[in-house]
Amino acid sequence: MKFNWTKKLLGGLCLSSVAFVFQACYGTPQDFGEELFVQGKVTDKTTGLPIKGIKVSVVDRMQYLYTNEEGDFAFYTMRADSTVVRFEDVDSIENGSYASKEIVLPGSLHVVDLTIDLDELK
Amino acid sequence: MKRRIEQFLFRQFRAIETQRHELNYLFWECTTRCNLNCLHCGSDCAKDSAHQDMPLDDFLRALDTIKHPSTNLMVVLTGGEPLLRKDIEQCGREIKKRGMRWGMVSNGYLYDEQKHSALLNAGLGALTISLDGLEASHNWLRRNPKSFARADVAIGLAANAPRLNFDVVTCVNRRNIDELTAIKNHLIAKHVKAWRLFTIIPIGRAKNNPELFLTDSQFQQLMDFIAETRKQGDIDVKFSCEGYVGDYEKRVRDTPFFCRAGINIGSVLIDGSISACPNVDRSFAQGNIYHDNLDNVWHTQFQLFRDRSWTKRGKCANCKEYKQCQGNGFHYWHGDKQQVLVCHNERLKIS
Repeated sequence: MKFNWTKKLLGGLCLSSVAFVFQACYGTPQDFGEELFVQGKVTDKTTGLPIKGIKVSVVDRMQYLYTNEEGDFAFYTMRADSTVVRFEDVDSIENGSYASKEIVLPGSLHVVDLTIDLDELK
Repeated sequence: MKRRIEQFLFRQFRAIETQRHELNYLFWECTTRCNLNCLHCGSDCAKDSAHQDMPLDDFLRALDTIKHPSTNLMVVLTGGEPLLRKDIEQCGREIKKRGMRWGMVSNGYLYDEQKHSALLNAGLGALTISLDGLEASHNWLRRNPKSFARADVAIGLAANAPRLNFDVVTCVNRRNIDELTAIKNHLIAKHVKAWRLFTIIPIGRAKNNPELFLTDSQFQQLMDFIAETRKQGDIDVKFSCEGYVGDYEKRVRDTPFFCRAGINIGSVLIDGSISACPNVDRSFAQGNIYHDNLDNVWHTQFQLFRDRSWTKRGKCANCKEYKQCQGNGFHYWHGDKQQVLVCHNERLKIS
């Protein structure tokens, strides 16, 4: 009976140990998985058409990418109390010229699906 | 008495973990090409590899056989140098799509700002970069005059990315053993939080180069350095889980020595072989993804990894500490497997 208790206790410790301690000797540390998946589309506010080449960046982190032909983007980033994502037109007047926009994502989310419309600068 | 109780409890814990044998950590040797030609490479990797990179689809087919992946299953891309693959971000995204986490071991040579951002976007969550000394000794081991500068840039980027669980590894050898304090200070200045120290295994390209291997007294010097640095608490330094170190166990690591190869750690090697850690002797392969089901192999094979009683031979046969150590790291059983290649505990006793 006493041994069963020990076994149960150790079994519980095993479950937690694998998550928090275990690291292969020639591998990386564990990824704790505290992340946010952000995906979406950037469109022209007036026409509704997708805009390619918009720089999507996470403010204060060295992380960015550009929208594709369909205006789509998708990336993982760290989940934090608030994450600021900036949308910037950085390709000058190629395919129009758009005002930048920033949005704040709350820390409670794991996945965010965004539709961002940008004002064209006249 | 206290120590004996702790050791007893730990052995029970290890037995339960072995019985559960949940796959928590899967290496993928995605390439054996490498942009460096290091003196100590256990895989004999070089610029031109005999093997083609494994196609991503082949690996994903194997991954998809895992019916019930553990919630924290971590896929670690290794090589060779994984950053030589042009589809590395796609590899990461496909792993993430399957609800798994991924990390990468790299020499850092190709890890610049753009690559850093692209990998984070693809869900990279853990990263290890090698730094094997100050500039001269690192470049000597890596046989490339720019390798320190490039690795240093990579370390600066990774250490300042809060999303990454990042550490630096150093292979300690006769050239850098007296630089450890300077390396530590360098890493702290770059905001590195975790640092793992290894010795070099006498296999592959390394085995005929005595300058790579510490003397017994230098090995003790390494243990003392780690123990002292851990006391100071400026950086989370530890000895790797490569081997059992007797009385130093509690002073150089967070947890006692436990080689999890084949217990929680599996691998898919460049030729499709299914094994444990990539540095384990290739003759221990338990199957091949090109004709076996990875999930089945994990659950039905690996007996030699989960029952290590066969390692009670050679110098391990009459060792009083065998119960704690169980034949040292699995990767120290090579060739005819009649004798463990290195006994860390013995080295400490000799010194």
